[in-house]
Amino acid sequence: MELYSPEGLRVDGRRWNELRRFYCRINTHPIVADGSAYVEAGNTKIVCLLNGPHEPTRSQMNTQKGSLDIKLHVSPFSTTERRKVTRNDRRIQELSTILKNTFEQVVILKNYPRTIIEVNVRVLAQDGGLLAACCNAITLALVDAGIALYDYISAVSAGVFDNQILLDLNRLEEQDLSSVTIGVVGKTKKLSLVLSETRLPQDRLAKVFEVAVNGCHQLKDQMDAQVAKKGREKAITEELKTNWVQ
Amino acid sequence: MFKITLSPAERSYLHESLSCLSPIRPDARLNKQFRPLEATCSFLPGSNGSARIRMADGAECLASVKAKVVSLQLNNANSAQHLKNLIEVDLDINGIRDDSNLSSTIASSLKGSLVKHIPLEKLRLTHRYAFKLFIDIVVLSHSSVYPLTLLSLATYMALKSTKLPLLTSTVNDRDIEEQPMFSDDWESSLALFGDSSLSPPLLFVVAVVKDNIFIDPSPEEESVSENGICLTYANGKIISPLQTISLSPKDNTGINSAQILKAHALVKEIGPLVVKSLDEIVSDDSIKTIF
Repeated sequence: MELYSPEGLRVDGRRWNELRRFYCRINTHPIVADGSAYVEAGNTKIVCLLNGPHEPTRSQMNTQKGSLDIKLHVSPFSTTERRKVTRNDRRIQELSTILKNTFEQVVILKNYPRTIIEVNVRVLAQDGGLLAACCNAITLALVDAGIALYDYISAVSAGVFDNQILLDLNRLEEQDLSSVTIGVVGKTKKLSLVLSETRLPQDRLAKVFEVAVNGCHQLKDQMDAQVAKKGREKAITEELKTNWVQ
Repeated sequence: MFKITLSPAERSYLHESLSCLSPIRPDARLNKQFRPLEATCSFLPGSNGSARIRMADGAECLASVKAKVVSLQLNNANSAQHLKNLIEVDLDINGIRDDSNLSSTIASSLKGSLVKHIPLEKLRLTHRYAFKLFIDIVVLSHSSVYPLTLLSLATYMALKSTKLPLLTSTVNDRDIEEQPMFSDDWESSLALFGDSSLSPPLLFVVAVVKDNIFIDPSPEEESVSENGICLTYANGKIISPLQTISLSPKDNTGINSAQILKAHALVKEIGPLVVKSLDEIVSDDSIKTIF
């Protein structure tokens, strides 16, 4: 299969620097969770439910700062070929640890001593960019729950095809190309997450990062627009409520 | 999951009002009325059929149906037993272990009722090959003690929206083995329940308080109920399994035949209405995102 045509088109018809369709919603589960988000990046679909900050059920309590617990559940039907993934699958555990380490840096945990923030991420469909989509979903769920963050973390993957850099890889591209997933803090150029599971030529790294950071900024804008939209809706309903009471 | 704790006075009040001659439910529903629910289907591009159901109290369930081509062992004499293996039900309830008692009981009662009501012959492709259906159910959150109604509604919709690709290669491979080939055009795919007289079963859990039967009991109602009955509805009639279940921790009183008959009549009355409204959602293919 041709991953990048001479005319400059990829397998799904995108140009090299184009993101897949990004669709996100926050506050999707207002009753059962304190914060919730739904993220679609192309055909990758993630639901994130967040509970907390609340008192930990176990005795392990940190008096200095809050603790963060991220659990990743991969549904057996998420891949093209059905595959049941157990909860202590090594790759899943590794991804959860990476997410935990990333978000411990961005959540202002010192504001929440003696509490736990429980995050459940459920993967409904996978089509490449799993870690990036999870990262974006968790950010949105944290924002929805009103938990203090230093800034958004938006993540995206990028890869190299010959001399061409490709942004936001889908599953087909991810299988064949060397790629890296990065997470960017807000609209800065600070990286809070870098994960590469393949070899990547060192001389391309700077260019790959530049393209990916650009992609992250686009995603941040989209996420921000969604949060602002939800905020406006909330403000209107609140206003209606107070007017109705008067 | 929510824990409902009612004071003795509240429990007694609720129990009294539910056991009246004309019972009053806390949310003013009729005894045959469901709480509002929200449903979508066919939103997973990688599955043959999918559905999501959310109840008003936030209880939520996702179901996916995935088909895979498997080869049948030919020298197996017991072919009916063999066809039963073409359906696999997998259940994942958030916060409950997969091998827990609740999880395995629900999965087995669902599978038992599904095997009889899925047109197994439609899964048979050729003499040597058949589709195997993997039904995966994920409960994101639930409030009921026994969330079978929720699961069953989602499974019903997922099965109803299931489409299988059209076989283009020969059906008869008795003599020469041939890999089955399918049409690339998804438009020509066949619905699993397209022209079938069968319909997936629906399982309803009803709560019993004195002589009254309540459909879709809320957690509060469950906690004061004396008994629960699980009934299966398919193709206009009540079928087996019919079982009693305990919905509340308090001592269950026995169940009498009048209560079973009442439950039977109630489910028979609402069954067609539930089927009709779910079928309407399945046939409306304008919505393709879940949230």
